[in-house]
Parts: sequence; C-alpha cells; structure tokens
Amino acid sequence: MITVTGLTKQYGGRTVVDDVSFTLEPGTVTGFLGPNGAGKTTTMRMVAGLVPATRGSALVDGRPYAALPNPGAVLGTLLDAAAVHPGRTGRTHLRLIADALGVPAARVDEVLELVDLAAAGRRRIKGYSLGMRQRLGIAAALLADPPVLMFDEPANGLDPEGIRWMRSLLRDHAARGGTVLLSSHLLGEVEHTVDRLLVIGGGRIVADGPVASLLGTDGVSVRAVDPAGLARALTVAGHAVAPGTDGELVVSGASPAEVGAVAAAGGLALTDLRPLQRGLEDVFFSLTAA
Amino acid sequence: MTVAVLSPSRPVVARRSGASLPAQVGLEVRKSLSTRSGRAVVAAGALLAPTAMTLAVASSAGPLGSPVGPVVVTGMLSVLVLLALGVLSTAGEWTSGSVQTTYLLEPRRSRVLAAKALAVAALGAGVALVAAGLATAVLALFGPSVPLDGVGRAVLMVGIGGAAFALLGAGVGAALGNTPAALTGVYLVYLGVLPLLQVFKPSIADAVDPGNAVLQLAQGTDQAQSATVLVAWVAVALVAGVVVTRRRAVQ
Repeated sequence: MITVTGLTKQYGGRTVVDDVSFTLEPGTVTGFLGPNGAGKTTTMRMVAGLVPATRGSALVDGRPYAALPNPGAVLGTLLDAAAVHPGRTGRTHLRLIADALGVPAARVDEVLELVDLAAAGRRRIKGYSLGMRQRLGIAAALLADPPVLMFDEPANGLDPEGIRWMRSLLRDHAARGGTVLLSSHLLGEVEHTVDRLLVIGGGRIVADGPVASLLGTDGVSVRAVDPAGLARALTVAGHAVAPGTDGELVVSGASPAEVGAVAAAGGLALTDLRPLQRGLEDVFFSLTAA
Repeated sequence: MTVAVLSPSRPVVARRSGASLPAQVGLEVRKSLSTRSGRAVVAAGALLAPTAMTLAVASSAGPLGSPVGPVVVTGMLSVLVLLALGVLSTAGEWTSGSVQTTYLLEPRRSRVLAAKALAVAALGAGVALVAAGLATAVLALFGPSVPLDGVGRAVLMVGIGGAAFALLGAGVGAALGNTPAALTGVYLVYLGVLPLLQVFKPSIADAVDPGNAVLQLAQGTDQAQSATVLVAWVAVALVAGVVVTRRRAVQ
C-alpha cells in the first residue's frame, strides 16, 4: 500500500507538486497520468525517498521509505532504466542488487529468464538496447518479489509483445494482492491495464477514480434492420438521435436497455447495440487542459 | 519472453533488515572491481610503483644512501592513481546514474558513504601496499646494494597514503557528484596548485602537501604534523562529501 498525504515539492518559487494526496490499495493497478512536467516523476521520486518533499508525507506499507528495514524488498521501482553503470554486465548488476536485498543468487537467473535477458546477462549493459535496459530495470524491481511496484514509463522501448507481457505481469501482480502504480504516456496501454486512474496536471491531482467512472458513458450506438424506423421510434420516445460516422445511430443520454425497449415495443430488429464511452485520450486532454 | 507470467515457484525470501555495514563494505568493494575502469585503476595502481622502480634502477648507476626515499617516491605514483579509485566510487555513481539504485536499496546516505569510505580505504591501502612491496622487491633484487633499514615503515606509510588518497578522492567525488569535475579538481590541486605553491611559498607547500606528509611519516620525521596534515585533507573532503550528498536530490 502507498499512502500520500499533502505531498508538495517546491524548487525556489516554483511548485512542481502541489498538495498531492492519494491512497493505493493492495490488489489494484493504478495509472498515473499527466502531461510532461506535470509532476508524476517527482511525486514517485518523493515516495521512494530520492527527492526530499517540501511538505507532506508519503508512506509505503505504513512507513516512510527510508524507515523501512529493507526498502527494496517492499517497494520495487523502475524510475529510470538508464540509471545503471554501463560497464557492468546485466547479471553482475542484478547480483549486486540481490546481495544488497539478501535474495538468493538463483533468483537472478529466474528474473533474467522472466524478462528474456538470460542470453544477454553476461554482456555489458553498454551494449543493451533501450528495450533491454527497460527489461533489466523490471527484473531488478522484481528480484525480491516485493508487494508494491512503482514503474515510471515501463513500456518505453518495449515492442508490442513486450507491452502485452508487461500488462500480464502487472495484472498478475495485482491479482496476487500486490499494489501497482505506473505512469505512462501510452494512454491506450494504460486504459487496458489499470483499474484506477490518477490524473495530475500542473502539479495537482485533477482526477482520481475507477477507470469506468472517469471515462463515463455518453449514450448508445445502435444498428437496426430498419434504421429509419428505429430513428422515428426513438425520437417519438423522446430520445435525441443522430446518424453516426459508420451507418449506425447514436442515441445521446440513453442506456442500452432504454433503446432496446423502444426497439422491442416497435417490433424493430437490432443488429448491434452498445454503450458509447469517452476515450481516455479525450478525458486526459479535457482534465489537463487547464 | 515468458508470456505466461507465473508466480515464483518458491516464495522469494529477502532479508528482513538492511545489509550489515561489513556486508555493505564488501558490496562496495565488489562494485569498484566490477567495471573495467575500476579494475584498470587498481591494476595501474599496483603496477606503477614497481614499473617506476624498474626504470629508476635500470637508469641509475650511483650508490643509494637509503631505500626509503625511492620506495616512497615510486609508491606515491601508485598512490596518486588511487585518487581516481576514490572518485569513481562516489562521483562515478552520480555520473552513470547508478546512485539511484544505491539509494533505493539503502536510503541512509551517510551509511552508504561510510561503507564506500571503508571500502576504498581498504582497497587503497591494499593496492598501495602491494605496489610498494613490489617496488621494494625490485630494488632489493636488481638495485644497488643497500641495507633495507626503514623499508618496512616506508611500505606501511605508502599503504596508509594509499588509503588516505583514496578517501580524499571519494570525499571530493561525493561533494561534486561528477566524475570529470572531481578528477580534474583533485589532480589540478595536487599536480598544479601544490607545485605552484612550492615555487612561491615552499615552506607552506611543504607543510600542507599530503604527499610530503607521507614521505615525512616514512622517514620518521615531523610525525604529529604529518599525520595531522593527512587527517585534515581526508576529513575536509569526507565532511564535504557527506554534507552535500545528504542534501542532493537524486533526479
């Protein structure tokens, strides 16, 4: 669990994180979204104790990060995949971390296998691609199988297979009772991965809630054998109907059940009926525009 | 890639507490020796003194009054290299970014610096002792015949010099957090500022030069003042390193 209360960071007269508060519960994957410079990375670094907060607190498992007896075994982080010594091999890098955590050496081979870097483990990190460094960072975060994971832009450099793998990894971790916080610019990927969204803009939290409630519904898309007849019936029933871009009818402010009832009452056969949701991209831009 | 992400076959059991200080020192030694640059510095440190002694013996024809001077002078060449060992152990982490991992694993920065200081001191002393010992062996085997009185003390003082200079480099590296700046700074001071001071104010230069302090200690002269000079250089560098590191954000 991560609990952040009134977290604020100021550099001189500039406030980059402004009174941020949230609580992440076990068993959830939370997406942390925001434009460049919104304060996502600074917030994460304050949670991990790398950047001192100006005000407020961030607790991991009920304690400040620095007060945890073996913090890397509680919070696995990936903040910057490039923050590794390029002269070391991948295996040596992970061995040093494993020894610091008190994790058996065999676990290094396990995580290298998990992230598909077993063959590259004895090569110097200098020769790794961006995707390989990203996977090495994920491997390091997973070494102690910590209950909490905090990843900043974990999909950077990953190919589609890698992104799908990472999605499975994070969902599996939450399913086992873990807590996941991930920030990403890949809105489409976040939408398929997370249960909850935290949106930050200008250093302040502008939205916090389940994905479904934040995206909301905005009417119904319906196709019928007799579209003109259905449109007349819906209009008579008091619904606003407009033609869609692909031959469907868009009924604003109605639920699928309401549209289905109108169709059934008029004996009109439907070929497609689905709720319309706002896209995450639309929500993101509307929330962070100010 | 393993598409089906499975839980670990056995629960992963990490240590319940952080690593002990001796374990952290061991880790820091391994970190220093886990890169080509670190191993190159150690190798250079170990080989410079005997190489210089070999050249000196080969080019010298006259008798030798005392072995202490040659052992210390050649030993100081190795000790100078160990400044870089110290810098790499601290500034090297900031320059490469690996400091982020270090402080995520152990957020208590003073403890990390203490472990690094102990590690580079041990490495520095060890390398310098090996270097001075090899140089002494070259002198004894191939040099002009001379009683080796005082050589043991000279080798020991070179070892202490190795530890001190490595610590000095670590402190400056921690304070500046940038490898090129720290290396430039320490070598500019030792090879530029101090020699200039020797030209214009030789008495002051002799009094503050840490290399001269090592020579004096080896010769058994001005013990208290020489020890104070070495301790002062190390203390100022380490305190500066600790103060700056504790306040610096890891971006």
